[in-house]
Amino acid sequence: MSMIYDMNLNPQKISKIPKMNPHESHTGASPANPLIPKRGIITKITTETPDVKTFSITGADGTKPFTPQPGQLGMLSLPPYGEAMFSVTAQNDTHIDMAIKAVGSLTNALHAVEEGQECGIRGPYGNGFPLDFCHGKDLIFIAGGIGHAPVRSLIRHCVEHRTDYGKLTVVYGARSYADLVFKDDLFDNWPKVDNMDIHVTIDRPEDGWQGHVGFVPSYPEELALPPSVSIVCGPPIMIKFALQALTKMGFKPNEVITTMEMRMKCGIGKCGRCNIGSCFVCLDGPVFTQEQLNAMPPEY
Amino acid sequence: MKDTVIHATNTIAIRHEMRNIARNLLEIQAVDLILGWKKGILPNKSAPAFIHRPDQVDDLIFDEFCYHNLTKFLLGCPDRQDRIADNEDRLKTAIFVKGCDSRSLIGLIQDNQITRENVYIIGIDCPGLKEEHNTTILAKKCETCYTATPVEYDILIDSPDKRPENPNGLKGFQAHRDLAKIENMPPAERGAYWQQMFQSCIRCYACRNVCPVCSCKECCFDQTLPNWVGKGNNTSDNGFYHLVRAMHVAGRCVSCGECERSCPMHLPVMLLNSKLGLSIEELFDEPPASMNFDVTATLNHFKPEDPEEFM
Amino acid sequence: MKTIAKTQIDSILKALAVPYNLYIPVAGAFTQTPGREGLENASQFRLYQEGLPLHWTTNTCLSPKDLLFPQTEEMYTIVSHGKTVEIQEKAIGHKPTILFGIRSCDIESIDCMDRVFLEKGFEDTYYKTRRPRTILFALSCTTHEDTCFCTSMGVNPQSSPSADVQISDLGDTFSFTAQTLGGEQALAYVDALLSEIIGTGPSGALKTQTPDTLKTPEELKEIALSNAADSTLSSAADSTLSSSSADSPLSSAADSTLNAAADNAGNKTSAASPLPTDPMIITVNSDGVSEKLENMFEHPLWDEINLPCLGCGACTYVCPTCYCFDINDKTLSHTTINKQRCWDSCMFSDYTRMAGGHNPRPSKKERVRNRFLDKLLYNRQRHGRLFCVGCGRCVAKCPVNLEIATVIQKIQAAEVTPS
Repeated sequence: MSMIYDMNLNPQKISKIPKMNPHESHTGASPANPLIPKRGIITKITTETPDVKTFSITGADGTKPFTPQPGQLGMLSLPPYGEAMFSVTAQNDTHIDMAIKAVGSLTNALHAVEEGQECGIRGPYGNGFPLDFCHGKDLIFIAGGIGHAPVRSLIRHCVEHRTDYGKLTVVYGARSYADLVFKDDLFDNWPKVDNMDIHVTIDRPEDGWQGHVGFVPSYPEELALPPSVSIVCGPPIMIKFALQALTKMGFKPNEVITTMEMRMKCGIGKCGRCNIGSCFVCLDGPVFTQEQLNAMPPEY
Repeated sequence: MKDTVIHATNTIAIRHEMRNIARNLLEIQAVDLILGWKKGILPNKSAPAFIHRPDQVDDLIFDEFCYHNLTKFLLGCPDRQDRIADNEDRLKTAIFVKGCDSRSLIGLIQDNQITRENVYIIGIDCPGLKEEHNTTILAKKCETCYTATPVEYDILIDSPDKRPENPNGLKGFQAHRDLAKIENMPPAERGAYWQQMFQSCIRCYACRNVCPVCSCKECCFDQTLPNWVGKGNNTSDNGFYHLVRAMHVAGRCVSCGECERSCPMHLPVMLLNSKLGLSIEELFDEPPASMNFDVTATLNHFKPEDPEEFM
Repeated sequence: MKTIAKTQIDSILKALAVPYNLYIPVAGAFTQTPGREGLENASQFRLYQEGLPLHWTTNTCLSPKDLLFPQTEEMYTIVSHGKTVEIQEKAIGHKPTILFGIRSCDIESIDCMDRVFLEKGFEDTYYKTRRPRTILFALSCTTHEDTCFCTSMGVNPQSSPSADVQISDLGDTFSFTAQTLGGEQALAYVDALLSEIIGTGPSGALKTQTPDTLKTPEELKEIALSNAADSTLSSAADSTLSSSSADSPLSSAADSTLNAAADNAGNKTSAASPLPTDPMIITVNSDGVSEKLENMFEHPLWDEINLPCLGCGACTYVCPTCYCFDINDKTLSHTTINKQRCWDSCMFSDYTRMAGGHNPRPSKKERVRNRFLDKLLYNRQRHGRLFCVGCGRCVAKCPVNLEIATVIQKIQAAEVTPS
């Protein structure tokens, strides 16, 4: 994300205008309009928490609608409620998964549909996590609440390609036990994975909970995790305090990776609203390092 | 509360008095903000001025291009950071008002949007403003004037140059130049006229946002649940917007003409407001809105003798 | 050089309207604004019809951007029955189109649009369909409105090298010069109607390079700046009622140097072209404004300049370089909606508001700051140029006169401690 730009006030005109005979009329739909969704089918709905459900979406041809990199986004629409951008939490040959919290009109409507409901789906969008950068390194995943959704795609990728990465540590928390998402992975699947530690915390004590109690941002320090590459996702307030804590613990700004959330309409860096400074979250993000964020206006 | 009257013989003298009053108010810490006018980037443009310190008072001017009805800024529009009624601890805000502006101030007070005690009102006798591009012509927004002298003030700068009444005796909405034209049109032609207006609208909402009686915290056109009007620009949605807005301000419109002056497409917004406003004045036989504190807006109260032919 | 008498211009329009969708600047429907008779009023580009008079005295009130990027674009229809959803894409029909009589500033703004819609990862299908099939006939300016400041933004009002055809106003006649292949093909349709003037310059030569004798827009801007040094904001601010009448002292700042410079700097055929008689009233120094703004995000300037903003979208909708859009629904029935793409404005409070209520730009301070940083810094970083072409529409239209020219002046005057 270079902030260096051409000093010339009006540099050369761009040569991107396609060369074609201007005297030729154009009619009909273009083959690949990135703004037009494909028809998708919500084939499976999993209730994760009282307000989070995971939707498995299959393309009209029975295969997954698109192939996202970990951390990339998809635009899901349900008529007549409009479109919104969600991170893809998992994928296989037949579907992609999106874990969605009910917060607004579209997400509440999604929570009310049944399996078999058709929808619109387009993507993938955004940069995704820097897999090459993470390759061979120890990774610490720090997530709070629904922030587990974007990191899960990367955790799953690392588990599937276990030998490509060093030690994996997951620090995850939510308000209560009921609000923890992906409990199967947290308590059954991932603890069995080689050289992988799972630390789960909830905000307040509750009956039957034997694990750690406390907020996510302070947990890594209590665990005395050694500085390495970390991936932080969660609500803005959690990210803010987690980044402060990691800085204090000696994590390097270029090794702290996080994801941003802004309102989006197009997903292709044109509609203008998801900018943080001169970066568009839908195109240049949603994944940024702390170093990059420090160079951007604090307007998110 | 019409306390003090200061006489000023010309615009230079008015400006002088404005600055003296403003400086004094700030120095004695009676107010912490003064809403006035300053010169814009061109000789024929003026702009709202927000004066916080005595050293800023020399920015204040009054000339024939001080169109802005500053009362809207008392609402901190559109997101109310400076909404003065909500904030009792702060000092008063002083505001300069022309005749029409003072009416909208009364309207906002009657609607409980602001409290009278929180504003210090400095009235100015309005000479009648001029068109931006032809200083020999009375500004169109001033043609539908009801009062050149403010109807409410704490202090008034009065001037012999005050705008005289129309020679034909018509006042306010009655004086709208196109009223007869639109009334005499056959229905089809009239329909086409409004269609043309709605078609030309770009829905920038300047008319709504500048309007001092559009004081809703959240406008119905900004709501998404339910979504009353589509965002697309088409004659039907544009018409829906204009007609609903006209109905919402009917009986409350103070004829300041800011909506039409602000329209980048020069649409005849005031013609719609004038026709509706005049109809309400005639139908209910009531005085124009917000001329004093005694009568609330016509459609905001009920009288047993109100006409009810439609029931 | 090919010319036609102004009185005969309708014959050209008539001929071009056959093979092309021809859009021309026309006066608005409501032209009764006093003092504005004959001026731009609500003028805009409209599809040519016989007898529709060409409005060429001043630039149009609305920029021609809606012909490449319509205010409302129907994208697709969604029909839902029970659990099924059907998506029907709308066809994008686009006949070869001529935009006739675009001013230099608006030609520059199309360069801005090109950068947004054709660069940076994705190409916009709608824009990419229209843009190559659109032929730009630029019209030189012979006068300017009080609000124009294009020369301050590096635009030459006499000449648009990137247009397909340059039309120059020669007083009684218009001259036509093709600058691209598309322009030459278009002019071939009207060749018989144009008369050749011998010996006044190269005719029909395609744009290859700028001759050395021509001044660049930057040079022209410098000349304009030095000439108009008197007519700054402060002189405007001092003027009283009496000096604001028609015979403003500002017009005395006219200087033949600018005319001479513009003579040279004009297009190949402009030697005989009538020119603006006086320098633009508004001048701003846009040099280094981006670099300065890099350290001004937290500057108190934003606390001050946002105060009069009403949060309407007038500036963004009349701006020829504003490109933000929304994608939303037009409900046709309980089963059928049309998805449409509409202009949106970053000045609206719900523009960045997210589901759940969080808004990264919650008040007008953040929104006003974002708009001006976007024009003067962010787009420079992202697309390599300032996104203001000095057309002056926001200067003319902002209800509270919070326009970019004043803001640039205030930025340049602001004290900044480098971080």
